Amino acid sequence: MLTGIDYFVVISYLIGMLLLGLYFRKFVHSSTDFFLGGRMLPFWAIGMSIVVSDIGAIDFVGIAGQSYRYGISVGNFDWIGSVPAMLLAAFIFIPCFWKSRLYTIPEYLGRRYNDGVRTIASLTWIVFFAFDLGIIFWASAVLLKSLMGWPHWVSIIATATVVGLYTFCGGLTAVIMTDVVQMIIMFVGGGAVVFLGFFKVGGWSGLVEKISAMGPAYQDHFNLILPVDTKTPFPWTGILFGLTFVMANAYMIGNQAIVQRCFSAKNEWHAKASMIFAAFLKMLIPILVLFPGLIAIVLHPQLEDGDQALPTLISTLLPPGLGGLMFAAFLAGLMSSIDSVLNSTATLWTKDIYEKFIRKGASDKHYLMVGRVATIVLLTIGVITSPVSDLFPGIYVAVQTFLSFFQGPIFSILLLGIFWRRTTQWGGLAGLVGGMMSSGLMYWFKESLFTIEDPFLYVSWWSFVAGFSITIVVSLFTRSHPVSRLYGLVYRLKQPQAEGTA
Amino acid sequence: MKTILNFEWLKWISDDAAKNIFLVLFVLIGILVWLLPKDYIYEGLENPRWWHNLKLWATGVLAMIFVTYLIF
Repeated sequence: MLTGIDYFVVISYLIGMLLLGLYFRKFVHSSTDFFLGGRMLPFWAIGMSIVVSDIGAIDFVGIAGQSYRYGISVGNFDWIGSVPAMLLAAFIFIPCFWKSRLYTIPEYLGRRYNDGVRTIASLTWIVFFAFDLGIIFWASAVLLKSLMGWPHWVSIIATATVVGLYTFCGGLTAVIMTDVVQMIIMFVGGGAVVFLGFFKVGGWSGLVEKISAMGPAYQDHFNLILPVDTKTPFPWTGILFGLTFVMANAYMIGNQAIVQRCFSAKNEWHAKASMIFAAFLKMLIPILVLFPGLIAIVLHPQLEDGDQALPTLISTLLPPGLGGLMFAAFLAGLMSSIDSVLNSTATLWTKDIYEKFIRKGASDKHYLMVGRVATIVLLTIGVITSPVSDLFPGIYVAVQTFLSFFQGPIFSILLLGIFWRRTTQWGGLAGLVGGMMSSGLMYWFKESLFTIEDPFLYVSWWSFVAGFSITIVVSLFTRSHPVSRLYGLVYRLKQPQAEGTA
Repeated sequence: MKTILNFEWLKWISDDAAKNIFLVLFVLIGILVWLLPKDYIYEGLENPRWWHNLKLWATGVLAMIFVTYLIF
């Protein structure tokens, strides 16, 4: 339980974040300001925002829980499951997107393929984000109940109120600038748990020694590469094919909540640099989210649920004051994830659905208002659907399960769309729909198809292969767009300069 | 079918060899980064300085991940 000084730290943090977020309301005059921060933001703020948006409550609780169960192999998600994809995004996809002055990734798909692809992709992301919000809220509720004894619904509604207010008022600028502060708090708070934990277990060598002495069940806890026949969800083949080649790329290149930040960069160099800077920060994240799980193995080896590892450490390890700081760090991760999802979903709804199908040609003020209303509606849906995640045994795996349904197919058409000019609109549509159907079938028959505990990495890979193959085959039998329509949408395909111009 | 879907056909590759595959991947990415045209790296800047060279940034990050996978 938190003490008086802890409550003071937490409440100060919440009020500070709320005031900081509301301050940026004065910079929001148009829909571009609300959705893209006026396209004026520097690389360092965007980079920090990308990382902190990606590392939320789910990671603090879920990855610590996974590392408690499976060891450091879960670190693959932040290392090889991020860095190569972020470099590909930085050097190939982001420049292309930024030059096209996009608001959303489905908007690119619409220009490259057709409105059908755009709408399916956008609706899928909107539905996913709505569920994701529920999962994020539930993760926070689990921790808050463990730490403070708050009923689940009290913590969910309290968090939703604070984040909803500043996201509603300040748009993407408020989201990114609060993320900068939240990342610093996350590093300080999370670092405190790791530092004190290491001190208690005798440093890194003490940790390795004690866990290794706990028997054969822990023999792979310090291996990043696990064999093909491991019973964990992380065999090296799944990490390489499913995570590195598909899920990571799909997440860093096709995820609206991540890439939208890069659209707000003040120029192309800042857009590229933001993603590489984020990759550097990502390398440090496992120290905060993974090591607590390992420390908990030594200090609390009898936990029934791995997701209780971090809450238990916080309640037993941290002195008054630091407990509040860690709690603020957890809230920082939670709030940064929620505000990102809210703003991105509002952008998807307003630009890809509302402006396209419901009301074309309205004033900019109208679309600004629609974006704000969408923020509140989504927040409400997220709160109502939050208990769904309680049906899944591991919170983090639950998110990956949702993601793997459509990440592979969407990445397959993004990849072919940007590198192969022969890809056609019907190829893209068939690849997206066919790939998603293959995901659904694989999950439906997963007991008879797969041997590992949770095959989301394999499903990602094979649904990518399905989407990729279908897109190529259908493209070869259908007519492609004229080259003039593909300028700026295919890598290094530039409009030839007219004669007589410099 | 199950053998293909679960990559059991790659069981013959040892864990050490698998680790080398990961390490080679990082080196390959580094090579591809350095093959990018110089003007493409600086696009958007009016007065580029040496520290604006994003190839250097990428190399630093790749070095960190290479060492991490080499150790674990």
